[in-house]
Amino acid sequence: MSAARATPQGTGPAPRRGVIAALVVLAVGALCLALVPHLPWLGGFPDAWALPVTRWVDTGLTWFLGLIKPGARMLSAALSYPMTWANVLLLHTPWPLLVALVTALGWYVGGLRLALLGFAGFSFVVASGYWTESMNTLSLVAVSVPLALLLGGATGILANEVPRVKSAVQTIMDVMQTVPTFAYLTPLLLLFGFGPVVGLIASAIYAAPPMARNVMLGLERVETDIKEAAVMSGASRLQQLFLIEIPSAATQIMVGVNQSLMAALSMVIIAAVIGGFDDIGWEVLLTMRKAQFGAALLAGLVIVAFAIVIDRISAGMARQQPRHSRRIALLIVAAGAALAVLAWLYLPAAGQIQLLVPAAEWLDARLTQFVRAQGAALDAIKNGAMFYGLLPLRIGLDGAVLPFTWGFQWTPGMSAGFYAAAAAIGAFIAWRGGVAAGLMVPILAGIVETGIAELPWPFVLIGAGAIGWVAGGRKLALYAVLMLAAVLLSGLWAKALWSLYLSGAAVLTCAILGGAIGLLCALSPLAWRVVQPICDMLQTIPLFVFLIPVLMFFQIGEFSAFLAIIFYAIVPMIRYTRHGLISVPPDLIEAATSSGATTWQTMREVRAPYAAPTILLGLNQTILYAFAMLVIAALIGTTGLGQSIFLALGQADVGLGVTSGAAMAILALVADRLVQGFAAERRRALGL
Amino acid sequence: MPEQASAQQPAIRCRNVWQVFGPGAQDHLAQALKQTGGDAGATAQALRALDLVPAVQDVSFDVKRGEIFVIMGLSGSGKSTLVRCISRLIDVTAGEIEIDGEDVLGAAKTRMTQLRRRKLGMVFQHFGLFPHMSALQNVAFPLKMQGQARAERLARAREVIELVGLKGREDAYPRELSGGQRQRVGIARSLAVNPDVWFLDEPFSALDPLIRRQLQDEFIDIQARLRKSIVFITHDIAEALKIADRIAIMRDGQIVQIGTPSQIVLEPVDGYVRDFTKDVAKGRHARLSSVLTPLAPDAPPPADDPGLRVDMTLDEALSACMSLYDPVPVHGPDGQIVGMVDPAELARAVQVDPV
Repeated sequence: MSAARATPQGTGPAPRRGVIAALVVLAVGALCLALVPHLPWLGGFPDAWALPVTRWVDTGLTWFLGLIKPGARMLSAALSYPMTWANVLLLHTPWPLLVALVTALGWYVGGLRLALLGFAGFSFVVASGYWTESMNTLSLVAVSVPLALLLGGATGILANEVPRVKSAVQTIMDVMQTVPTFAYLTPLLLLFGFGPVVGLIASAIYAAPPMARNVMLGLERVETDIKEAAVMSGASRLQQLFLIEIPSAATQIMVGVNQSLMAALSMVIIAAVIGGFDDIGWEVLLTMRKAQFGAALLAGLVIVAFAIVIDRISAGMARQQPRHSRRIALLIVAAGAALAVLAWLYLPAAGQIQLLVPAAEWLDARLTQFVRAQGAALDAIKNGAMFYGLLPLRIGLDGAVLPFTWGFQWTPGMSAGFYAAAAAIGAFIAWRGGVAAGLMVPILAGIVETGIAELPWPFVLIGAGAIGWVAGGRKLALYAVLMLAAVLLSGLWAKALWSLYLSGAAVLTCAILGGAIGLLCALSPLAWRVVQPICDMLQTIPLFVFLIPVLMFFQIGEFSAFLAIIFYAIVPMIRYTRHGLISVPPDLIEAATSSGATTWQTMREVRAPYAAPTILLGLNQTILYAFAMLVIAALIGTTGLGQSIFLALGQADVGLGVTSGAAMAILALVADRLVQGFAAERRRALGL
Repeated sequence: MPEQASAQQPAIRCRNVWQVFGPGAQDHLAQALKQTGGDAGATAQALRALDLVPAVQDVSFDVKRGEIFVIMGLSGSGKSTLVRCISRLIDVTAGEIEIDGEDVLGAAKTRMTQLRRRKLGMVFQHFGLFPHMSALQNVAFPLKMQGQARAERLARAREVIELVGLKGREDAYPRELSGGQRQRVGIARSLAVNPDVWFLDEPFSALDPLIRRQLQDEFIDIQARLRKSIVFITHDIAEALKIADRIAIMRDGQIVQIGTPSQIVLEPVDGYVRDFTKDVAKGRHARLSSVLTPLAPDAPPPADDPGLRVDMTLDEALSACMSLYDPVPVHGPDGQIVGMVDPAELARAVQVDPV
């Protein structure tokens, strides 16, 4: 690989490369800073220079979609049959029987623990009064998951059988994972028309890649001995595949089924924004819009209950462990059926059971009371974070520091003083030996002073190129610059910078906060015992639900979006930090201890550097999560690309939707490559 | 305290050391010891019945000042656990361990850190080199922990790197070094603080035979200059016999025999130890002193005197008296005759035991 060759080994050249890159960026930044007042086109990219990409995409896609529309509509009609059947089946199955079936399945797969979980989860759904809506959602999942499994499984097997398409499949799946979920919806909407089928197809498409990935991985990992034994037994290729290799890969494939289920559920709920179907996601959206947060929370908890039950039971299936007694499972089902007969006669229909509705109303009232009583404190938190954190990051100290916010007006003199201080600190660090780090100080000072949303475009391009060069050589630098240039020319640059700012602020917060929590969990098993279930929970919840609690306290706006992103994206940072820190080989820790290092010294000198590549991968995940959530957060008021995607959906504007989605994906892909590059460089440096 | 350490005081003193792994090990051990009346074998059995793992059982020994004390045993015999007990990388379940008369089991964590920074050095089987540091930085690491200034510690690290023959490779990273070179860095790092007590945990086991022999020779050479008190772990009997002043043979967590190399070779206490040494050419390891018969007071003066000395190995002695049949005299260091040896007896002693 050229990237590997380009990165020098040893101490010498690598830091020097960092110094050169930092110098170049510093020079470009200073130049931009000096010239922007005279040459305004350096600051914001002039609209006149942008290519009408959105319009081209719109024209092209509309034509293309029109071409395949008849077929799509036929597919849509065909799919509406199984969907209706599933819906009728689920809605007409007596609820005690359904609860019993889930409980029995939980018992069979994971014994008492999963049986209780299944029972509690579905009972909660019954008690919530959202039974009908929940079954509508479930019937969408029930049809889309088999589609996704078929699609993903076939793709995985195809990639395994035809090595030539393998890398292509992998690339497509990488891109599909970074393209925001909402961006799928707009073209699908045009193709299939408004209605639940769009959600169905979107979720089938969205849930297929995890299946394909796991099938590929599982087949790849089948031991050569086993494969060769099959060949020597005289099995045909198909026999080898279906009798030997796929069964051998069963565990990994079941992991794929689990991930596929979760993805489908998440997407079905997101697709509710299209409307037209009375499902649980729509219920959340509706109640949120009406500011009925008690009801929104209840509906959100129904989604969480679904997600947890489905996740744990399907994960239990993926584990190879002895199953529990079939007889007891059957007994449970029989009890459920008996109860169902009774229910027909005496109990109300599921939709009429609304045990928890009073609780929701009570909560709503208390919440309103609380928000009213603590309004000042909540506003103080929000304004504090906005004025002292988010706003300066977005429009810079020169724009954010006003008498209204900070109590005084930012002056050019202050800018000069700020830069002088940054230069002095940088010079000091450089003098202590960290030349590249020292150069970074004035660069960062410049970014904070200017604001991310107002950074001159040449500075961003050169900066990304420089980071790429340090992380992975010339190829990566070129990749970063070209990809960003594409966004620049598309005319979506200002919005892209805006998205970059919000996700950047969230990622930074996640990195600091998540890193600290991960460190704590690495040091104290007790802390991890507390944090782990929270992390598990946060990772199971569909993205959508994160919006409810932040909305309850902080209303619609950027700060709420910021918080929602953090809640969702912090988890990988915590997990990877802890994992990296605790999986340092014991002999290194013993060597440090016997050298007389204290716990803290071992942490700083040995564990942290050794864990760096893993922590970087965590950061990478956090970035991707943040971008995914950014689009969802557009629902509760953010600007930037997420908003464009959302707007396009409302207006069925394919050009804008697809271009914005692509721009978002480009940002995510570039960030992903850059961080991966650094992680790879660190791994090489550690000789791993 | 180290100040009061006298020449007679052992560098390391272990008494009744137990290391038991598993939940509630300490209580179970105390209980089992009480029940069995302190019998090690029965106690170990009782612990195993509780699903605990008694990795080290009732081990006692002294390491003298400047001595190379080798602990030898097969994998799983508890030798690596034992050395980690002494350096307190793991906490001992029961027993006493003193280093230079100081009780290390009762020592506070900070005191242990201090001891490790000043007095103890350790070399690991798989080197334990920090991959993100150059050879020089690795060696300087313990000095950094001591809080030495940069220039000072790098100068000392260079010195030690030269001692282990790695001059010129200071800036190389572990991944750029061969196995032998890596362990040289490991040795240099453990010597950087100039420790009094030196632990080596199978330092040469991961190396090729040729490199291993070369490093063993250099190790003996370094020790001749530095005279550390050494605990050396190995599973290779040839290595043990080559470098040890005394050897402790471990089996299943217990020490079976402690003795000099020639005692181990010539007077194995049981079949287990004999099995170890059966393939060893004894003539190279045993000294003449081990086969000496005392001089009979009324014996006639011997006819031949090939000039044997007590510190000769059996091989050397045999080649000197190969053609003789009658017992010949053996001289002490001062030239006095201290005993006799029968050449036929000598030839028999050199024989490798039949399988």
